[in-house]
Amino acid sequence: MITFKLNGQTVQGEEGQYIIQVAEKYGIYIPTLCAHKALEPAGMCRLCTVELFDGRRTKFVTACNYPIWEGMEVQTDTETVHEGRKLIVEMLLARCADVPVIQQLAKKYGIEKPRFEQEHETCILCGLCTRICERMGNSAIALTERGLDMKVDTPFSVQTDICQACGACAFLCPTGHITIDKINELITANKAEIIKSEYDVGLKGRKPIYVPYPQAVPNTPVIDRDVCIHYKTGGCKICADICPVNAIDHSMEDEIVELNVGSVIMAPGFEPFDPSTLDFYNYSHPNVITSMEMERMLSASGPTGGHLVRLSDHQEPKKIAWLQCVGSRDMNRCDNSYCSSVCCMYAIKEAVIAKEHAGDDLDCSIFYMDMRTPGKDFEKFYDNAKNKSGVNFIRSRVHTINPVQGSEELELRYVSETGEILTGRFDLVVLSIGLQIPPDLIALSQKLGIDLTPGNFCETSTFAPVATSREGIFACGAFQGPKDIPQSVIDSSAAATAAAEILADSRNTRTKEKEVVPERSVSGDRPRIGVFVCRCGTNIAGVVDVPAVVQYAKSLPFVEYVDDNLFSCSQDTQENMSSIIEEKGLNRIVVAACTPKTHEPLFQETLTSAGLNKYLFEMTNIRNQDSWVHKNNPELATEKARDLVRMAIAKVAQMEPLKETELAVNQTAMVIGGGIAGMAAAKSLADQGFKTHLVEQTDHLGGQAVNLYHTAKGESVAENLEKLISLVKDHDNISLHLNTQIQNVDGFVGNFKTTLLENGKEEELEHGAAVLATGASPFTPTEYAYGQDERIITSLELDKKFTANDPGLEKIKAAAFIQCVGSREPGRMYCSRVCCTHSVENAIELKRRNPESNVYILYRDIRTYGEKEYLYKEARQLGVVFIRYCLEDKPKVSVKDDNISIVVTDHILNRPVELNVDMLTLATAITPCSDEKLANFFKVPMNEDGFFIERHAKLGPAEFATDGVFLCGMAHYPKPIDESIAQAKAAVSRAVTLLSRNFIYSSGTIAEVDQVNCAACGVCVAICPYSAPSFDQEGRFAGKAGINPALCKGCGLCVASCRSGAIHLKGFDTDQIMYQIFEMEEAV
Amino acid sequence: MKNLLEHMGIEPERLHFSWISSAESTKFVDVATKVTESVKSIGDREKKFVKTKPKVA
Amino acid sequence: MADNEPKILSFLCNWCSYGAADLAGVSRMEYPSNIRVIRIPCTGRMSPKFILAALRRGADAVWVSG
Repeated sequence: MITFKLNGQTVQGEEGQYIIQVAEKYGIYIPTLCAHKALEPAGMCRLCTVELFDGRRTKFVTACNYPIWEGMEVQTDTETVHEGRKLIVEMLLARCADVPVIQQLAKKYGIEKPRFEQEHETCILCGLCTRICERMGNSAIALTERGLDMKVDTPFSVQTDICQACGACAFLCPTGHITIDKINELITANKAEIIKSEYDVGLKGRKPIYVPYPQAVPNTPVIDRDVCIHYKTGGCKICADICPVNAIDHSMEDEIVELNVGSVIMAPGFEPFDPSTLDFYNYSHPNVITSMEMERMLSASGPTGGHLVRLSDHQEPKKIAWLQCVGSRDMNRCDNSYCSSVCCMYAIKEAVIAKEHAGDDLDCSIFYMDMRTPGKDFEKFYDNAKNKSGVNFIRSRVHTINPVQGSEELELRYVSETGEILTGRFDLVVLSIGLQIPPDLIALSQKLGIDLTPGNFCETSTFAPVATSREGIFACGAFQGPKDIPQSVIDSSAAATAAAEILADSRNTRTKEKEVVPERSVSGDRPRIGVFVCRCGTNIAGVVDVPAVVQYAKSLPFVEYVDDNLFSCSQDTQENMSSIIEEKGLNRIVVAACTPKTHEPLFQETLTSAGLNKYLFEMTNIRNQDSWVHKNNPELATEKARDLVRMAIAKVAQMEPLKETELAVNQTAMVIGGGIAGMAAAKSLADQGFKTHLVEQTDHLGGQAVNLYHTAKGESVAENLEKLISLVKDHDNISLHLNTQIQNVDGFVGNFKTTLLENGKEEELEHGAAVLATGASPFTPTEYAYGQDERIITSLELDKKFTANDPGLEKIKAAAFIQCVGSREPGRMYCSRVCCTHSVENAIELKRRNPESNVYILYRDIRTYGEKEYLYKEARQLGVVFIRYCLEDKPKVSVKDDNISIVVTDHILNRPVELNVDMLTLATAITPCSDEKLANFFKVPMNEDGFFIERHAKLGPAEFATDGVFLCGMAHYPKPIDESIAQAKAAVSRAVTLLSRNFIYSSGTIAEVDQVNCAACGVCVAICPYSAPSFDQEGRFAGKAGINPALCKGCGLCVASCRSGAIHLKGFDTDQIMYQIFEMEEAV
Repeated sequence: MKNLLEHMGIEPERLHFSWISSAESTKFVDVATKVTESVKSIGDREKKFVKTKPKVA
Repeated sequence: MADNEPKILSFLCNWCSYGAADLAGVSRMEYPSNIRVIRIPCTGRMSPKFILAALRRGADAVWVSG
């Protein structure tokens, strides 16, 4: 350590450091244009000149490259130093009259016009560029010539391929002399361009070291070896020098790791279709973008900060068009004949959000063939987009996008529904691109021996929807077929269950027990608070004056110990903190660092390992919510940090140790509903070793599936159903309860008590989890003359005829189907999802049995999503006639003597046509059971249509908000067999995370009733979304409210609503928050 | 709540409510800035409701 | 702190606005430094008492965000 004097202050630095480095550490500013911490100093610009007294005399040295020595005395800001610098700036200004940086410096030194002749150079010959180029391992440029002719140049002024076009020189150039354009023009023989951010689909650049996207797990940066200059030249490695924890090792290589596993789950995803191969879309035009680019543009964290612009001139668009089915449902121009399932919905969403961003004046038009919104609540969204948000829906497939000469606009020519050729001009055209499987994934599948479908998705069967053709390998997500988030989440849970079924025996065989440190009792002790302030390298300390915060914290009441850490979250710091807590006998801890959302559990762990209850802890956020957002205001940031630390100390002093209640889990499950979904769930639970009660209200298993003939993939439903029924009946772990009603349900997660009425006999069963699979039933139509003639039937009745091989079917010369009977209309504003596929499939079957017959399908939109589209195509090829009708002009059916007459307005001819058929099939809606009693028993919600509401529409599709209760099958929403089975397995996956445990622990931060003060008003019981409070049935406080710790999520709603102040939220109690508030007084 | 405060002589600009999803950082910044500006715009508050510490002789 | 810098006490829902505030930091955005944050588990926890207490204790304003 070297000690010397800097502006009279005694300072210390390391051997080998230069004056400027020590000055920076002590916050003393020395101007420079040519120094950079990654480079050896060169003393080129001379601006950093300081005055040095060596004991005998004073001299001028450059601070950037003058090494420090013991006892020296340095003055950085004397009159002479100032005068000297002024002269240097004056000369620089004379050379570079137009460079903003120099102009600013000149202003600072009070120079208006230099006394020397003005030149208009831009280079100040600081040499940063040549030195960084050398460091990059290239030396493509150097200072050439001598004296007045000196300049930065390549050898012989020729563009060189030694230059890697990395742009480091342009990045460091202080005056803007070197730019990316200039590199391309004069220096490199390669091409310098920005590295496009994959996340922002090329709309923004990224660095060679980057975090792929803000939510990435793990959220650590990676080096892109393809662009990192080190891997090209061996130079640079600046990152390794700068990293304060030496985390960067450029010599790391890919390793081949061999794992021995029992099953494999494939979740490799998809790639968005690349429209650049389709030249008629003119994707190269800046105002033609893909839907993925639109997603990023609409995102608040996106390249335009959520501001909607057209890219050609960054003006706000007034008219936007979406073109559907780009790269989907198209055999001629790309090979993807399937429907990508998700594009209709995302286009509507984008249009609605765009209008929300830009206001009602924005004109949004979606050009489509069939609007496919068969998901839960999607039809309502579509309806609102059309009728409330005012999005235009135009049924037309646009062939070409033409740029308009001399304008930023794009012209679309399209045919209207009435056959007119129209043109429209738009500022922005969004291509709704489909999903496809990338070539390397096809190769991987071949390597693994997995069969693929014609669309290159993973081949699976209806009754094993996540099993690939190779035993032990499962698939989920878009690899299994184009699908949206809820379906992907269902699939992934299902795949986890499928993998667990075959590995059930080895569950818990490799778990390690954690060592438990006995907890120290602190009750009655005076608070002894320990405060740890994190520097987070320079992330916090670079802005907030950490030593000042530490000093301040020491002055606060009950604070025993304060220290700062370089990185509080590092392993060694954690161990150190733990030993300090024990050594100093601290009993409350505050950590002022990043955010509790990511790091609270880590520090709580540290407390636990030091024998302290983990709730004697408070974390305050001086990074994400302070140093990072106030970086240009260090003083105010420091003051904010002080306030935050004081508030945290005030709160932690009020903290009490909290207990996490332990509850035993009854490892038995109950499945309600004996249809396909219920049986699949019961079987999967039983296969994994859990005793399961399967409850069915009728006298047989199978549910609605007993009525079905074939699946969309052509498998026989009856055969597979029979197999499943016999497996369920014979399973040792399944107790079957037929003819059974649920009488009552008591208890909660892990400990339910359900009373059954089985064949007239009451029985109480205990179970830890419940799966609701109560299914749905077909709607009985009241229109289209149903019931007036036996030739007018429903889809399920037609299936029965097929199953029975009804001889009447052979005689049919003409048959018709009417779609959306009872669906997608006011009162039942949802799509029943399965009927289009079902009718198309049955139409094909009719054609197959009798190729000469005429088959008509009267539809509103054909919704054969995913690879079901092939059936639609096949039906058309077989000559099935599709006639569209609209809701306002439904077909008119009348029964005649020899046939059935249907009058419908043909959408191409635009006039009524009459069809005379021998059989009319009505594709009826699917209606939920909407069993309100059951919903009340399990405290689970239903939507206005009567379907159960899952915990989260996207991320929790097979479980309820109420813990321990799960759902699957058509009770959730209409769905085909494969999706029902997948959801059953998903529900099981969620249930097993509970059932596989012996105990569950409630969180410590939950609400508790002080029953003496409870007025039994019942507000808490009514208001809680998780049904945690209820009235005690017995004991001293019978009739008063009590809160079940197992169900409480600690939201505090009941606490705020309690009129008598009887409810306390542990960890966020009124006192604790009040003490934080009281600290405001100090702040003002 | 705002009515109550106004009744007490506290300007409505001193109380703000908003709903921001965890992904909407831009909105957070916007609202934080707006809240601060709106508070600054009405100037210093006559702190008549501020509890003063009892004077100890 | 300068006299004209008001102090605003904010109550942020742990799952929503607190997350947004964190993300604003990660994205290195900037906003005025007048805000002091109290993290609450949910805006359901909010009670008018807190708002009154804050104003009474000298906060210039209160911001509640879910």
